[in-house]
Amino acid sequence: MTAAVAQVGFSARRALHQPGELAVRVLFYAFILVVFAALWSAATRANGGSIAGYDVRSLLWYVTAAEGAVIATKPRMIETIGWDISSGAIVTEMLRPASVVGLRLAAELGEALVRLACALAVGGVVAWLYVGPPPSAAAAALAVPAAVLALCCNLAAQHAFAGAAFWLRDARSTWFLYQKLVFLLGGMLLPLEFLPRPLADVARALPFSAMAYAPARLASGHVDPALLAEQAGWLVVLLACAAGVFRAGERRIEVVGG
Amino acid sequence: MLAIQAHELTKAFTAGRGRGRRTVEAVRDITFEVERGERLAYIGPNGAGKSTSIKMLTGILHPTSGSATVLGLQPWTQRRDLARRIGTLFGQRSQLWFELTTRQTLRLLARIYKLDDADARRRTDELAALLDAGDLFDSPVRSLSLGQRMRCELAATVLHAPEVLFLDEPTIGLDLLAKQRFREMVVRLNEEQGTTVFLTSHDVADIEHVADRVVVINHGTIIYDDQVARMRRSLLQTKLLEVRFEEAPGELVMDGVLVSAQTETVYDLVVDTRRRSVRSVLDDLLDAHAIADISVVDPPLEQVISEIYGGGP
Amino acid sequence: MSVALQTVRTAFLEAWANRRGFWFQVLIMMVNDVAWVIFWVLFFRKVGALRGWDTHKVLLLFAILTTCTGFGLGLLANARRLGELISGGGLDAALALPTNPLAYLLTRRVDTALLGDLAFGPVLFVAAGDPTPERAAVFIFGALCGSIVLVGFLVALGSVTLFAGGRGEQADLGFQAILIFASYPVDIFGGLTKLFLFTAVPAAFVTGLPTRLVSSFSWPEAAAAAGAAAFFATLAVATFNLGLRRYTSGALWTRA
Repeated sequence: MTAAVAQVGFSARRALHQPGELAVRVLFYAFILVVFAALWSAATRANGGSIAGYDVRSLLWYVTAAEGAVIATKPRMIETIGWDISSGAIVTEMLRPASVVGLRLAAELGEALVRLACALAVGGVVAWLYVGPPPSAAAAALAVPAAVLALCCNLAAQHAFAGAAFWLRDARSTWFLYQKLVFLLGGMLLPLEFLPRPLADVARALPFSAMAYAPARLASGHVDPALLAEQAGWLVVLLACAAGVFRAGERRIEVVGG
Repeated sequence: MLAIQAHELTKAFTAGRGRGRRTVEAVRDITFEVERGERLAYIGPNGAGKSTSIKMLTGILHPTSGSATVLGLQPWTQRRDLARRIGTLFGQRSQLWFELTTRQTLRLLARIYKLDDADARRRTDELAALLDAGDLFDSPVRSLSLGQRMRCELAATVLHAPEVLFLDEPTIGLDLLAKQRFREMVVRLNEEQGTTVFLTSHDVADIEHVADRVVVINHGTIIYDDQVARMRRSLLQTKLLEVRFEEAPGELVMDGVLVSAQTETVYDLVVDTRRRSVRSVLDDLLDAHAIADISVVDPPLEQVISEIYGGGP
Repeated sequence: MSVALQTVRTAFLEAWANRRGFWFQVLIMMVNDVAWVIFWVLFFRKVGALRGWDTHKVLLLFAILTTCTGFGLGLLANARRLGELISGGGLDAALALPTNPLAYLLTRRVDTALLGDLAFGPVLFVAAGDPTPERAAVFIFGALCGSIVLVGFLVALGSVTLFAGGRGEQADLGFQAILIFASYPVDIFGGLTKLFLFTAVPAAFVTGLPTRLVSSFSWPEAAAAAGAAAFFATLAVATFNLGLRRYTSGALWTRA
């Protein structure tokens, strides 16, 4: 456990040492916010101020939180994880007296937390400048831990999905697929309330909603602590899946050789 | 006509920023001539200026001062015209398309070098024979070993029958056998097709097996320029032996052998090969002592160079 | 010209060499594009028309966008990696050949996945763009102009590496920016941003103007599209050639 915590701190520090990369990521995020600020203000104005129960203010805070939680993860992670498992590079990690997937998750978490903090800071300022403070202080307060949980769920899910990358033998395409699932079913750019009823219900029942919709819904002003409980539940399931995928990979290496 | 002519070639770079800014001379006053059909080895340790020199001669880099002509053309102003008549092989960079066969790459190169189809086909078959390529040209490059790949790279480099062949550290990463084969191919190209060879390397063995002339460059300047035969006579007269004895042998006195360094059981010996063969020294050692390990090594390039600097061993 | 075509053909052959991977990546890209189509359909379902834009028009924009990315990022896949290539020494390999280095580098690689876009765009146009022969002709013209602007912009940015060194990060940023802004209807933006999108980050010339041309053609605007294409093509070639001179004189940073 302490090894994991140490790993988190170590990789967080390392992320801070690469300001260029961080800046590019945060700028990309800022572009998206600018675009969506324009999109949602035009859209709400054309619809009498609100759509699907959201006004421009809640919509922009929605996007800030949803996009922020997702952008904090590394885009090519599934690719690198898949490659590390299939090439046997995780062998060296298997020699350490700690869980391979546990340490990896801790390492990714450290970097991701730094990125999340930067993104939310920048995003918060941009959103505030456009539409003012978040609609509900209480909900916003819940949104922050929700964002962290969203991040954890996302990281765990990517590690679990890496198994699919190995099986499909094309990590980049797998990542595209994963990204679109989070995108549409996770409510990353479109609140799930925009989906037709049956699809929205399915989306709410899937883990992707924990990665973007949960913190976004809170940030948009809807006080709903149950969302956090859902995220925690999904986190447990996803961690188990990730551990399973890595165990299968390790077993294969043990049998076949690195 | 001379193949290559360099006169006081100098290249200075600006390195560092702000107050730390300084001018670094990568090469200074490089002057030499290469006759058509010669095989020249351009030797120097890492950072000596070999790559800078070859980049200027192939037109990729402009010199700060000085002049050079290759086949009568000024490389940096007539790069594309020159490119049609020379071939370049950079050891660390591949010309071959990785997922395709060499033959497919050659087909594209034939187009780029404006060879007509019949010529290209004839030339490809000729190279396949010359380089003992067999079926290699029809296997995807990614499935070839490094040694096989280098032979295919060579084919790609000389498809258009260049008059001068520039090779920049071509044998890096190859095992001993592959290096030997590669050198043989280069010599064959030179002897059968008259291609002038300009080879940069930091492997002294390239001098012995490929070149008939050697230019040594160190810290940006030429410190030696002579026929290999003459160099062999005056330098390269030693071999190093690293010997690990089972028990401390004490003082070691042998004819033609110098102890250059020693610990209790590990001795570095320098054998003067003009006076004794390495074989006879090994025989004596093995007869007189219990030996745990021996390695026989060529003198390091730095030593050869310092010999050159000092004018002799 | 035929050397460039032959190089593209060889690059395509190389991508095609892994047959199974090829089709899989093309398929996934199309799935990716379908996801975006779903996004827009759902968006306009709830939002209705928006400043002259509706589902129909935005799908037209998307068809043009995918055709442009298919061409500029799929077929000429090195356009967006030019800075990276230069800093990694890939330019030297191109300079060793008796051919135009920029043309060679651009045609040297084809990105399989993005070829999926090149296929998807026209298909989407035919499916949802109300394809008449006139509209199809304008579509091709508009997408071509947009592609040239996209490639020109990326090449110009990448060529900055020849002057300033670095590893092409400025090109990455520019690429993200132009792609994001070109993916959304240009009319949602205010005056200042719109101006920005017609100049510094010419996303409006990549999708905005071509879309307008197909919906309601006008000769002045067609001329503007062609002019923009010519401008960015010239800018790219000029920046590269000037940078090449800088690069080969190699005084700025150590290239030994």
